[in-house]
Amino acid sequence: MTKEWILPKGHLSYWLRQLRNTASLIAPLRVDGDIVFKSLENIHEVSLDNPALLPSPKEFLFPQQESLFWVEDGTKVRQLYNNEKRFVFGVRSCDISALRLLDRFYLEGYEDPYYSLRRKNTVFISIVCNNPDPTCFCIGLGTGPYLEKGFDIQLTDLGDRYFVQAGNTKAIRIIRQWKFLFNKPKRVDYEDQYEVFLSSKARFQKRISLENVREYILAGKVKDSFWGSVTERCFECGGCVYECPLCTCFTVTDRVYSFGIDRVRLWDTCLFKGFTRMAGGILPNEKKILRTKRWYYHKLIHYPDVLGGFGCVGCGRCTVTCPGKIDMATIAIKLRDLQDND
Amino acid sequence: MIAMDKILTVCPYCGCGCGLYLHVDRGRLVGVSPSKSHPVNRGSLCVKGWNAHEFVIHPDRLLSPMIKDKGEFRECTWDIALDYVAHRLMEIRDRHGPDSIGILSSAKCTNEENYLMMKFARAVVGTNNIDHCARLCHSSTVGGLAAAFGSGAMTNSISEIRDAKVLFVIGSNTTEQHPMIGMHMLDAVDRGAILIVADPRRPQIAEFAHIHLRHKPGTDVALLMGIMHIIVNEGLVDIDFVRRRTENFDTFERILRDFHPHAVERITGVGIEEIRRVARIYAMEKRSMLFYAMGITQHITGVDNVRACANLVMLTGHIGLPSSGINPLRGQNNVQGACDMGALPNVYSGYQTVTNPRARRKFERAWKRKLPLKPGLTVVEMTEAAYEGRLKALYIMGENPLLSDPDLNHVNEAMKRLDLLIVQDIFPNETMQYAHVVLPACSFAEKDGTFTNTERRVQLLRKAIEPLGNSRPDWEIITELSRRMGYDMKYRGTYEIMEEIALLTPSYGGMLHHRLREVHGLQWPCPDVAHPGTPFLHRKKIAKGLGTFITVEFKPPAELPDDEYPFILTTGRIYFHYHTGTMCRRTSVLEREEPECYVEINPDDAEVLHIKDKSQVRVSSRRGSITVFARVTDRTPQGVVFIPFHYSEAAANLLTNAALDPTVKIPEYKVCAVKVEPLIKEDRRPRSIKIVDLEDLRIT
Ligand code: SF4
Ligand code: SF4
Ligand code: SF4
Repeated sequence: MTKEWILPKGHLSYWLRQLRNTASLIAPLRVDGDIVFKSLENIHEVSLDNPALLPSPKEFLFPQQESLFWVEDGTKVRQLYNNEKRFVFGVRSCDISALRLLDRFYLEGYEDPYYSLRRKNTVFISIVCNNPDPTCFCIGLGTGPYLEKGFDIQLTDLGDRYFVQAGNTKAIRIIRQWKFLFNKPKRVDYEDQYEVFLSSKARFQKRISLENVREYILAGKVKDSFWGSVTERCFECGGCVYECPLCTCFTVTDRVYSFGIDRVRLWDTCLFKGFTRMAGGILPNEKKILRTKRWYYHKLIHYPDVLGGFGCVGCGRCTVTCPGKIDMATIAIKLRDLQDND
Repeated sequence: MIAMDKILTVCPYCGCGCGLYLHVDRGRLVGVSPSKSHPVNRGSLCVKGWNAHEFVIHPDRLLSPMIKDKGEFRECTWDIALDYVAHRLMEIRDRHGPDSIGILSSAKCTNEENYLMMKFARAVVGTNNIDHCARLCHSSTVGGLAAAFGSGAMTNSISEIRDAKVLFVIGSNTTEQHPMIGMHMLDAVDRGAILIVADPRRPQIAEFAHIHLRHKPGTDVALLMGIMHIIVNEGLVDIDFVRRRTENFDTFERILRDFHPHAVERITGVGIEEIRRVARIYAMEKRSMLFYAMGITQHITGVDNVRACANLVMLTGHIGLPSSGINPLRGQNNVQGACDMGALPNVYSGYQTVTNPRARRKFERAWKRKLPLKPGLTVVEMTEAAYEGRLKALYIMGENPLLSDPDLNHVNEAMKRLDLLIVQDIFPNETMQYAHVVLPACSFAEKDGTFTNTERRVQLLRKAIEPLGNSRPDWEIITELSRRMGYDMKYRGTYEIMEEIALLTPSYGGMLHHRLREVHGLQWPCPDVAHPGTPFLHRKKIAKGLGTFITVEFKPPAELPDDEYPFILTTGRIYFHYHTGTMCRRTSVLEREEPECYVEINPDDAEVLHIKDKSQVRVSSRRGSITVFARVTDRTPQGVVFIPFHYSEAAANLLTNAALDPTVKIPEYKVCAVKVEPLIKEDRRPRSIKIVDLEDLRIT
């Protein structure tokens, strides 16, 4: 169920201000040479023509560090839920696509109460990418640069106005609250929106088919020597996992204070050997190559088999952050070249 | 309070000085992310940077001042603690003279704090006994390079690395110890640069090397002289450069003749052909960068090693241009700054020597106090003086000599003999057990100031959260203490301290906080407020006029293997940990990755000794003995073993030798003789996780 409107650009800051009155508002802001997601203080600082932001907005659903519960007097356990209502404005399409898989991971079967609550309390307002970065490759994956469904609210920049789409009842209700700001779209608006989609698609520098890569791997064509040469370059920084909007690794630790115990969940990564350490100190993945391989197998083979989609939405963040330049896009391109030479 | 704030600041771990954002949710630190526009890390971080938020709120944080009373620490107010310290310091100064007091400043603290600490030592206490851990890592650089060029720092910028054509890396495990510099090196290699690595072990960076020289530990001088011998013999010297920009070449050349390649081959174990290839490649390419780290400096011949490196770049004219120079990689996040600020026994800020009457007068006028004439004691000499009872009081800010210094059993005894030991830190450490007073300081996330990274970039540290508990920033503690000792330091903030630094330190003349805010810092020298900073040094002219060839001699390490102690022990850091582990061992992911100390031993040696991978072994030297797990790997050559020094439960420095370089007094961490014995009984035990005591688990 999608409903559409037109929002004149001049109304945007008023609308944002209204949104901020009802919940906390997070948006991409320019600070010290970078653009980062932050609580919005000054509406005019919003920066929408931004390159992919580091880190991904998964931090708003699955924070880098979060207290789960607090134990006092040995027995009194207090769950710590974050009940805050939030709008996250200016998210990109690929990140919204990533939420679909994150949701399946955290909500299907066992429902993670912390994730679930944050998810319910957060509304994402995404922007169609008119100007993809050189690192983006969502286009080959159908995860961007615009979405047909799955978004809360999606804006398309049509120059002097935004094409606004609300993808669910909650979103429609939010728009209706300030109905007077929005107009009904006309035919020309639909055409202009399509124009934007077309021109955006034409700007992609990277076209990658992960499907081909998957088949190539499944055909048993990729030798360990290839993975060895990849692994050699890994700095074990964890950046690819931390940045990836789809990666879900975490660890749990207890902070024992004199006045209670804080159980904390922290981002972790499967690329570290200790991540799968077993009782007695056995390290099933002590060899680095096993871990690198697993990361790719998990994203390219396991995810599609189990969750019905690649573990990658083509956001290009790992390309930016990987010090060893062995990110998803680079590896996919390398494998494609190998394939061509076969 | 803001629900999600991100504050740009600087990584507290290594000298790369990566820019990172601290994420703050309603006053609580919740995460870290890299800065994409930062010239060093460009959107990347190493694992330590990514986890830099966690240790800050660790339950172990010291949150209240404490005074020891009948062997027990008792919490007290700041007033009581500071009054006590001030009173005792003045008492000791009056009874035994100012030189009976020693001060250890810190490469983890800001420039402003280091400057204040050295002002405190010199103007308030009246002694030049101030030093810090740079003594233990790069004093050879400060000594060696300053004599050759007049400046002891990286001559190039990190961002120039990718344009280099030849990278010569000697004694540095760059990808693991300076990961973001390693990233730039990899980038250069991808773009066609030739990478030469000289290291007895096989560090990760060697996997990418076109040539890997595995010389014997402690033979760096011979190796470098051998290379230079060939450069001279084959006429590859940049004669023009040598004539116009350097002096003393002739004397040097005479010494060089002794290093015949055959002799060098015998000493170093590296083949003549290899040496010749390196000499040709390095000399013939114009954009050649030389990098070195602890593998060069931590020897009794540390200064000579550095001089040899300096001679090599002068001989070939590889200095004074972009992507062409000599680059010591400095370990601690602010070790460059702590040296620049004069937290050293012989210089004021900006390396102005205390023996120079003009410099002294300048500081005397600014500080309105008479200053001591005689250079002070170094770190290791302070321990010695404490041991002998000449040093009565030691004030330690953010250091942990009881894990970092060589020959720990001796240090232990020295600390015990002190009349007054003041420890100012964020976490309890090994040294604290002998302290009389403990002052809780703030971590990097709770204060402002500046850090200077290894490429001389002075960057702003920004406060992200309020000080935890009762802790205070180090600079506030120093000013308070100083006031109580009758010298009022009045600063409204760290920016005012920086103003004073800029006034008195020529190379920091234009480093004012508001200027550093606009960009990711400025590189010194930056003499005035209009100056844009200096990306590479010695442009058009060597800083001190002419570069000086200083003759060096090959001396074998102080302690060589023999029948009883047949192995060479070399120590160092590992990727997941950092120095004495104060911060990283309180970070769950890092500690989980490498929870235990180990010794790396070559498979051939292991076989002879019947040592299996992951079995327990005892490693002993003439000074002590530790029990660790064996890691059998050919990363370490035969006859050499490697132990990381982060672990207090198996402290590598119980074994190391306190033999010192004669000029700068750096201890020889990289070579000492040990023996390795298997502990048969526990042979079959797998490498285990740290087994938590059940007692500790019980919730009461
Ligand atoms: S694998 Fe890389 S490109 Fe793909 S979604 Fe994750 S971070 Fe983005
Ligand atoms: S970002 Fe690159 S270097 Fe870092 S862990 Fe991932 S693959 Fe390894
Ligand atoms: S490379 Fe050094 S400065 Fe950069 S994140 Fe790692 S430890 Fe911090």
